[in-house]
This record gives sequence, C-alpha cells and structure tokens, in this order.
Amino acid sequence: MRLNWKPFVLSLVVLLILFPFVYLVFLSLASEWRFPDVWPSYIGFKNWVTVFNSEAGLLKSFFSSLVISLSVAVFSTTSGFLISKAVFYHPKKRVLTLLAYFPYILAPVVFAACLSFFFLKMGLFGNMTGVVVAQFIIAFPYALLFFSSFWNEKVKSYEDLVATLGGNKWQTYTKVLLPLAKGLILICFFQTFLISWFEYGLTSIIGIGKVQTLTIKVFLFIKEANYFYGALSCCLLIFPPVVLLYFNKRYVFKKFV
Amino acid sequence: MFLEVQHIVKSFGDEKVVKDLNFSLSAKHTLSILGKSGCGKTTMLKTIGGLVPPDSGKILLNGEDITETKPEKRSIVYLYQEDLLFPHLNAFENIAFGLRLKKIPEGLIKEKVEHMLHSLELEGQADKMPTQLSGGQRQRVSFGRAISTNPSLLLLDEPFGSLDTGTRKRMQELFKKLTEEFDITSLFVTHDLKEAVLMGNQIGFMQDGVLKVYEDKKDFIQDPQTGVQSEIEFWGGLL
Repeated sequence: MRLNWKPFVLSLVVLLILFPFVYLVFLSLASEWRFPDVWPSYIGFKNWVTVFNSEAGLLKSFFSSLVISLSVAVFSTTSGFLISKAVFYHPKKRVLTLLAYFPYILAPVVFAACLSFFFLKMGLFGNMTGVVVAQFIIAFPYALLFFSSFWNEKVKSYEDLVATLGGNKWQTYTKVLLPLAKGLILICFFQTFLISWFEYGLTSIIGIGKVQTLTIKVFLFIKEANYFYGALSCCLLIFPPVVLLYFNKRYVFKKFV
Repeated sequence: MFLEVQHIVKSFGDEKVVKDLNFSLSAKHTLSILGKSGCGKTTMLKTIGGLVPPDSGKILLNGEDITETKPEKRSIVYLYQEDLLFPHLNAFENIAFGLRLKKIPEGLIKEKVEHMLHSLELEGQADKMPTQLSGGQRQRVSFGRAISTNPSLLLLDEPFGSLDTGTRKRMQELFKKLTEEFDITSLFVTHDLKEAVLMGNQIGFMQDGVLKVYEDKKDFIQDPQTGVQSEIEFWGGLL
C-alpha cells in the first residue's frame, strides 16, 4: 500500500508555522531560564500579573498603542476614501497620485528627522497627538493609493444615476458609495491599523521616548535582554491584529470568495 | 411644448460636441434619436439631465427654466446602456431605491414596487440579487427603478444596446407598453435604425453634434443622410 505523505507534510508545516507563536506564549510565562537548564525554573503568570499591576507600564503602552492605531486607522481610512475621490475627478490626478508615493521614498527614520523641525515648532514633539499626526502622514497616502482603484467610470455613473433619481450627496454616500466600498474600507482600516501598530522609526523620533507604544516597549525589552518581558509584550502586540484578522476573515473576505 | 431645448452648445476643450441644439417635445411622447457613436448623443442627454453643464443655451421643462437646476431637482432620470443595478440590493430594493430617496411611506413603496414588478413581468423575482437575474430582467428592473419615481422626463441612452436580438425585441415591446401605461415622456437614443423608427413618435438624426428633428417618419425615411434609403436599396437588391 502506498503511504500518503500529504497529512504528515501538512502537519509539519502547520507545526512550523505555529511553533514561534506557541514558544512566544511559553517564554512570556517563564522567568529565570539560564543555561544549561533545559526547563525554566519558573513557569506561571508572574509576568502577566506584572503587566496588570502596571509595574513595567506594558498595559499603559498597550492602551496608548490602541488609541494611536485606532485614531490613525480611522482618520487615514476616512480621509483616504474621501480625498481619493477628489483626486480621481481632478484633471491632474496622475501628478497627485505620484505625489502620494513621496513618503515612501525615504526611510521612516529619515522622514521623521526631516519632519522633526516642523513638529517641534508646532508643539507636537513628544506627545501622542504628534505621533498620531506623524503616523497619519505615512498611513494616509497608503489609504489614498488603496482607494484609487475603487473610483472608476462605473462608480461615476452610479453617482450620476443617484443624482437623477433625486438623491443628494449624503444619500449617494450612505446608500450607494459606502455599501459598495464596505469591503475595501474594512480592509484599508485593518491595513492602516497594522501600519500604525507596528510603526517604530517615526514613533521613536517624534515620540522621543515619552510616547511608549507597545512596539517601542518590545524593542526596549529586547535591548535590555529581558526576553520574558519581550515575549510578553510581543504577545500583547500580536493580540489586536489577530482579533482584527479574525473579524476581517469572518465578515470581509468571506464575501469576496 | 413640454420640453424645449433652445440653442444648447457644449464643448470639451477645443472640440464642440453639441452645436446649437434646438428641439421641442410634447408630453407623453417619445423622441427617438438616431446617431453614430461619438456624434454627441450622450453629451446631449447628459446636458438635458443636468449631469453636464451647457456652455450656452436654455432648457425648459413644462415651461420652467431648468438650465441651472441641479440634476436631483430636475425630475429627469437618465438611463444608461448598462443596467447599473446596485449590487448590494435585491430587485425589490433596486426598484424601491428612488422612492426611498424621496422618503415615501413604506406601505406605498411596497404597493408601488409590487405593481411595477407586475407591469415588468417580474413576479417572483423580487428577492433575487442582480447577479441572479438575466440581462433582460436586469434591464427591466433598471426601467422599473427609473419609472417608479414618476419622472417628468426619461432619458434613455441606448438602453438595449447590450441585449441579444430576441431580448431586445421583447424589451422594445415592453417599453412601448410601459410608456402608455405610465404616460412617459422620453428621449430614446439609439444607433439602430429599426429601433429608432419603432420606438419614437418623433424621430431625430444627430450627426457631428447637430440634431435634426423630422416632421414625420416619411421625411426621415426620405432623407438620404439617415441611411434608410440605402437600407431599402440593400434589401430590395436582394429580392
């Protein structure tokens, strides 16, 4: 009888994909694991309790990251959707679209260094608003380019049709454009949330250490060689995107299949 | 006259697309306009519908100057060649769309849409999504959506252009029936000679942005520019 290798290979692949995440959770539960011990001397929820007791400020960082990323995602998705429409109808839409690529020409750290003077002048240095604005500058062009594929002659015809049927601009948005773009809007929100959530370079320069997002915290723990806290903050870092991914998969992608 | 179009001119850049457009149309009549692609038919309809502003000229509807009126206030519905059904709404909701915009009571919407579904021979299709309907059914829903709002004027831009011959013929008959049932005044643009003759009470011929409206069908047939004579010669030559 011929042996079917497919289930074994698949199991191995799944195991390899899952291993880093399982190991991360394991590390977040461990402490005092020194060479040559094969098992950590402590396994438990000590690190997690620390988080909730706010000793290391991880919970605060988690909520800071959440507020910043949600703000960036909401602002950039909304403005990206509305302004991409204006760009589509603009006679110089090619030039405007090309300009949207500008923030990606430079590395985020270099870009932040270029912006730092203006942020300093406007009093946006070292506070959460400054970080939101800085990340928005990166996320907004992404949203703009993302939505540029939505607008086309057919959508224009829908808009004209609604107008001749007696609909005003607000009704055109709420009854036609938003339902048509619902899937894209959710995906864009997810993507811009992720851009902001994992952003390091801009945040570290504009935040000057005063705004400690979870990503900044992870790097700090890694620099301090505190692997256990590092693993714990990584778990926290991954948790919101996984939740968003779940909702996207359940409510958005399912409709496209 | 119900619709009066006076000296409408429209250019895009240096290109004059509509040149001195002049015609009038009685209420409950259909003016079919024949013309080749790119002759300015669509621009003319969009100008009357308020979707494209004219450079000069005047449009009067039922005696009222609507040249500067926004499209949503004109009570003129523009129908595209494509059915443009809203993909997130079923057939019932697509037909009810214009009525919901006008915030008509729910009971009346239900009554009107059900009557429309019956007139369009679409009973039993109300819950179907646009992707579940055939080309002809989709175009009928599109008609229903436009007619249900009781527009003063209907602008049809080659509405049967994407249908096969059989469906096209059935749709032409249905349209004739609907115009009588709902007292529709319309401009029917087509590039099909036979369709132009069949659909209109009056016929016009558009060429290079100039529209010529004929007194009667005989004038239209006798004008060598319209191509009717060459058609007759062609078919006569085969006999």
